[in-house]
Amino acid sequence: MSHFIYTFGKILPGFVFPLLLASCVSLKGVREFAETATANVAHYNELGYSFLDHCEDRCRVEAIRTLDIQLELSCSCDLYSKADSVTGIFYTTIYDYLKGLGELAGKDLTSYQTDRVFEALSAEQYGPVSINESEAGAYAALSNLLSDVALTGFRKKKIAQYLEEANAPLQTLLGKFQMLISKDLKGELRFKKARLYSQYKDMMMGRTLDSDFENQSAVRTYYLSLKEIEKKEKLLDVYAKSLNEIAKGHQKLYDERNQLSLKELTQSLLGYSEEIQKLYQEFNQLNR
Amino acid sequence: MAKLTPEQVRTLSDQFYFLGMAIGEYRYTHWDDLSLEENKELSDSQYAILKSGEDMLAFAAQLVMDEAQTSIQQIQGLTKEIQDTIKDLKNIQKAMDVAAGILVLGAAILEKNPEKIGSNLQGLLELWKSD
Repeated sequence: MSHFIYTFGKILPGFVFPLLLASCVSLKGVREFAETATANVAHYNELGYSFLDHCEDRCRVEAIRTLDIQLELSCSCDLYSKADSVTGIFYTTIYDYLKGLGELAGKDLTSYQTDRVFEALSAEQYGPVSINESEAGAYAALSNLLSDVALTGFRKKKIAQYLEEANAPLQTLLGKFQMLISKDLKGELRFKKARLYSQYKDMMMGRTLDSDFENQSAVRTYYLSLKEIEKKEKLLDVYAKSLNEIAKGHQKLYDERNQLSLKELTQSLLGYSEEIQKLYQEFNQLNR
Repeated sequence: MAKLTPEQVRTLSDQFYFLGMAIGEYRYTHWDDLSLEENKELSDSQYAILKSGEDMLAFAAQLVMDEAQTSIQQIQGLTKEIQDTIKDLKNIQKAMDVAAGILVLGAAILEKNPEKIGSNLQGLLELWKSD
């Protein structure tokens, strides 16, 4: 028995290892892409601006403009809350899918540990069925290796199937989500700038401030507020751009779904992952 | 009547933005020619127009939802399938661990060791109930 295991142990890596390597390479590309994409999509929670925020800000600015003092400021923002729930649904749907895809291509999913079964079998009480400790270890290693190879193949097949079914609706969702962020939510910021401009311009034109100091302070406050809005606009732009890169990466996965073991695919996917990674860092830098 | 598309609503919102800005610029250019009342009236119109443009963008988001309903349902269905597949793959490990647990329990029974039988049985039950 020991000789058999020794011989098998010598030849096994020769045919199983290349198989494993090929499988690992392909799943690695899908995994890294999905994980990077998921992290980028999750930046939604750090955008720091929503439709509801916009409505409430506007409500306050309008109360200041009209010198309207109330015990509790009442803002009618249902339309804006609904718009937020729409973007929330887009975010959750895309995030959950990418997270699932990354997990299915994950490192640990099919690394089964059979050692415990073989350890149990090595117990002396089993009499004729028992195996010795070193044989148990070798069987366990062999079994782990083979189950990984078989199930990696299964996972690749399932991933190819999911990519095929998901690509068209996902492209639609990513495209529309991008528009919600870069056109609708960012568009609200353009209006916010317009209000800010009018508010300060009215102040200057109406000569409501007495001294140069007050005038200059007002101008300084205006530009600081403008800078804050522009920072939010940039954040939304970077986020929308990363959604676009995710769409391109998924399209590449879909195009090559039946050749997921090709090294070239992994390399080109890593290119998308790197691009998304750059946007991830850019977002974090802007958001400091 | 045909339903508006989000793109059409966004275009309308753009028009309202430019109109609001134009009224503002008119006020500033003719500041000294306008009476306080006239200026206030124009200012109120300007802000009301801007508000309409903002509301349109929030409305466009809702129209997007109508357009994307089918795609959302498709992706949500697929995500459920992916999660089920992941669960199945994880259950293979659980089955292996349960098999090992049964073997260890068998050994404890053969040993006639009540303490080991109790602890192994407890461990096995916990493993079985785990996700």
